[in-house]
Amino acid sequence: MSDLLEVNGVTKRFGGLTAVKNASFTLKKGDFTGILGPNGAGKTTLFNILTGFMPPTAGSIHFNGELVRDLAPYQVVNRGMARTFQLTRPFIGMNLLENVLVACMSPRASQDKDKEARARHLLAQVGLGGRDKEPVETLPYGDLRRLEIARALATRPDLLLLDEPFAGLGSSEIEQLAQLIRRLHREENLTILLIEHKLREFMALVSRVIAMNFGEIIAVGPPDEIVKNEKVIEAYIGKTEDSYASA
Amino acid sequence: MLQILIYGAVSSAIYAMLAVGFTLIFGVARILNLAHGSFYALGAYSAYVLTSVLNVPLLIAAPLAVLIVAGFGVLMERYLVRPLRASQLAVLMITLAVSLAVEQALFITFGSEYRNVPSFVADKLTIGGVDIGGQRLLALVMGVLVLLLLWLFIQRTRLGAAILAVSQDPEAAQYMGIPTNRIFSIVMAISAGTAALAGILVSPFLTVQPTMGLLPMVKAFAIVIVGGLGSIPGSIIASLILGYSETIVAYLISTSWTELVSLVAVVVTLMIRPAGIRAAF
Amino acid sequence: MRQLSLIDIAGGLVVIAILALAPVLISSNYLTGVLTVCVIYGIWAASWDFMSGLTGRENFGHSLFIGTGAYTAGFLSSIWTANPWYSLPLGVVVAVAFSILVGFPTLRLRGPYFALAMLSTSAILQRLCLIFWEYTGGEEGIYGLDPLMKTPLYYYWFALGILAVTVIVLTLLARSHWGLLLRAIRGDEATCQAAGINVTFYKIVSLMISAGFAGLGGALYAHYQLQVSPPLFSVVVSITVIIMVYVGGIGSIYGAAVAAILLTLLTEMLRGFGEYRLWIYTLTLMMILFFLPNGLIAPLWRRMTERLR
Ligand SMILES: Nc1ncnc2c1ncn2[C@@H]1O[C@H](COP(=O)(O)OP(=O)(O)OP(=O)(O)O)[C@@H](O)[C@H]1O
Ligand SMILES: [Mg+2]
Repeated sequence: MSDLLEVNGVTKRFGGLTAVKNASFTLKKGDFTGILGPNGAGKTTLFNILTGFMPPTAGSIHFNGELVRDLAPYQVVNRGMARTFQLTRPFIGMNLLENVLVACMSPRASQDKDKEARARHLLAQVGLGGRDKEPVETLPYGDLRRLEIARALATRPDLLLLDEPFAGLGSSEIEQLAQLIRRLHREENLTILLIEHKLREFMALVSRVIAMNFGEIIAVGPPDEIVKNEKVIEAYIGKTEDSYASA
Repeated sequence: MLQILIYGAVSSAIYAMLAVGFTLIFGVARILNLAHGSFYALGAYSAYVLTSVLNVPLLIAAPLAVLIVAGFGVLMERYLVRPLRASQLAVLMITLAVSLAVEQALFITFGSEYRNVPSFVADKLTIGGVDIGGQRLLALVMGVLVLLLLWLFIQRTRLGAAILAVSQDPEAAQYMGIPTNRIFSIVMAISAGTAALAGILVSPFLTVQPTMGLLPMVKAFAIVIVGGLGSIPGSIIASLILGYSETIVAYLISTSWTELVSLVAVVVTLMIRPAGIRAAF
Repeated sequence: MRQLSLIDIAGGLVVIAILALAPVLISSNYLTGVLTVCVIYGIWAASWDFMSGLTGRENFGHSLFIGTGAYTAGFLSSIWTANPWYSLPLGVVVAVAFSILVGFPTLRLRGPYFALAMLSTSAILQRLCLIFWEYTGGEEGIYGLDPLMKTPLYYYWFALGILAVTVIVLTLLARSHWGLLLRAIRGDEATCQAAGINVTFYKIVSLMISAGFAGLGGALYAHYQLQVSPPLFSVVVSITVIIMVYVGGIGSIYGAAVAAILLTLLTEMLRGFGEYRLWIYTLTLMMILFFLPNGLIAPLWRRMTERLR
């Protein structure tokens, strides 16, 4: 089977800083892959490039065999690649249902004739059922993450990119959200690429890890190999000590 | 030929004085000042009142008029714009309200008839067989001088460096201890002052009447779109392009067609290089 | 979706009934004329609110669409002596064409390019009318348009009907999924993109709708005045419309229409003050900006009817 996503030599420079350096990897249909890396490794920048929010300085991205590098973000979504944001971005002044409804208006959701029913179904699917009319302003962090996932699912993606969905959550919340993501992967036939910068959350969840440091991919492999990889340990231990020191 | 060269330079200098102030206050304080044309009109009327009504000598009247308008700009920013800064639309609306109020105030005080401001220099200069009004030459020289001074001020002084820092990243500048609000006031004073000076310099040879600010402001918009919002070099280059294109069109076709130039310039820029020519730097 | 409640519909019917009956009860040609202008301003304000109020992209040159609609009527009816009924549809078409011309390049961009381009284009068009006076009649404009109807009262009712249709259509659109998208665009364009929404497309189409109704109002106005002149393009017209929307409450549409009617009546009553009239607009605007940022009419109506919902 051919690759769903093919990233080739992607580089992004901000002035003197190279945020992503010559990144290449592929995802197959049904993969559940994680991107691991310390703060500032370039993970979010890579997501921004994949989803059309930033043009890469160099490199190419093929999705379903099509070059998507120069497409606008909404066009990428409409090819079947949806994302969530690290810092959640709900539509302020709208309730939960309306937040999801916006995404139900996208072209890939045109098969869903009853938009409201579809939006309600999605809210229920991510565990926010029955709370349609609640405003987003008062929503706790974990629920905002779920809302973002519901909004991404509304566009009926083949590939779902999740940017640090667990950041800032307590351990029981993490466990519940991890279950949700696992279920989506299994039941919705989704390919998932998930960013995380703490090793532990990955282990049980993903089947393959792409480790990044200073914009470079330093290792790719199953989680149990990655934790033993010297470069990863070096990058990680070094970095953790740094972040302890600065904290 | 020489005539085009000089008249084009005069137009360009006047446009640049207007556009640079407009783009500066946008770049630094994110204020899209729709009252910018009022500064130009107020400059001309202040000069008129001081010279023709109060009989102040011209050489004192001109700087005094600049100061008055700069003070007006500072007060406007401080008391009308700053409280509304949270909303971009509110800022646009309040500056628009100010421009309307100024136009109406001028209209009620002075009526719609044209007013005359005496020339600073009465003589004509003949260069290469072409007669050029001394007043126009003065406008050109002063315009170039003011822009040069402004450039030196921004590049070479501590205050200038602070202004640049605020325009690049207001939050970071605030952390570094730069008093952003004071910077806004200073930049507003500079912006209003240069626009007023432009108004004063043209007042002897253009018509002074309440709506005189609108068209130059629309030209300043066009220049800023062509040059790229917030870019000073961009707006100077765009002023030259617009000033010369208009002069050439006026010379080759007719003055009637000059108004089309800015429209075409805006449309063409937006079509081919939306971020303005700044993108070329 | 935000449903229209019965009380809103009842309120709308009462307002329309009052407006329709007023000139019958008082029976003065002067009042009929003033109300016709009121109603046309209502169309302009509602149409501004639909695009700019909902998406948050400030249109500072609505007079561009008003003027092109009116001049289309002027050229058709007076110069090419066409059937005056062609004016309305063609006024719409020409205004929509201009909206594409200005909207397409500018609405793709971030920043205030759209606001600047709209303002400049309308100001420049006003100048062009003066410059090409051989064709446009210059300062005097174009005279001698044919009236659409002989009786002023019928024409007023006709205009009132068009206002009612405008408000109903735009309100329904604003409260549909379409309106939801426009409000989402106002909130966060990047998130809209991430939700697969072609933001530029929706902005341009809503500008086209807005321009269409403004052009229709322009053509109506031309056939009421039976003449068109350059001030129709003026910045003052655009600003007057924006102030009306502000007073009405941005994004409410019906509020804009009601505020337009009230403010036009008020201006008419203050006619004696002559030159000071614009001051009243300016002061109203400043007061609203500082003390009633959400406007007056729509918040008041919501407050009044809160208990009845
Ligand atoms: N728009 C931008 N302009 C300039 N520099 C940027 C921009 N976006 C990111 N960077 C820089 O690029 C580097 C990588 O940032 P990125 O956000 O991709 O890291 P990350 O791996 O997502 O980190 P985190 O775990 O903190 O989310 C950082 O040094 C960051 O400061
Ligand atoms: Mg990140």
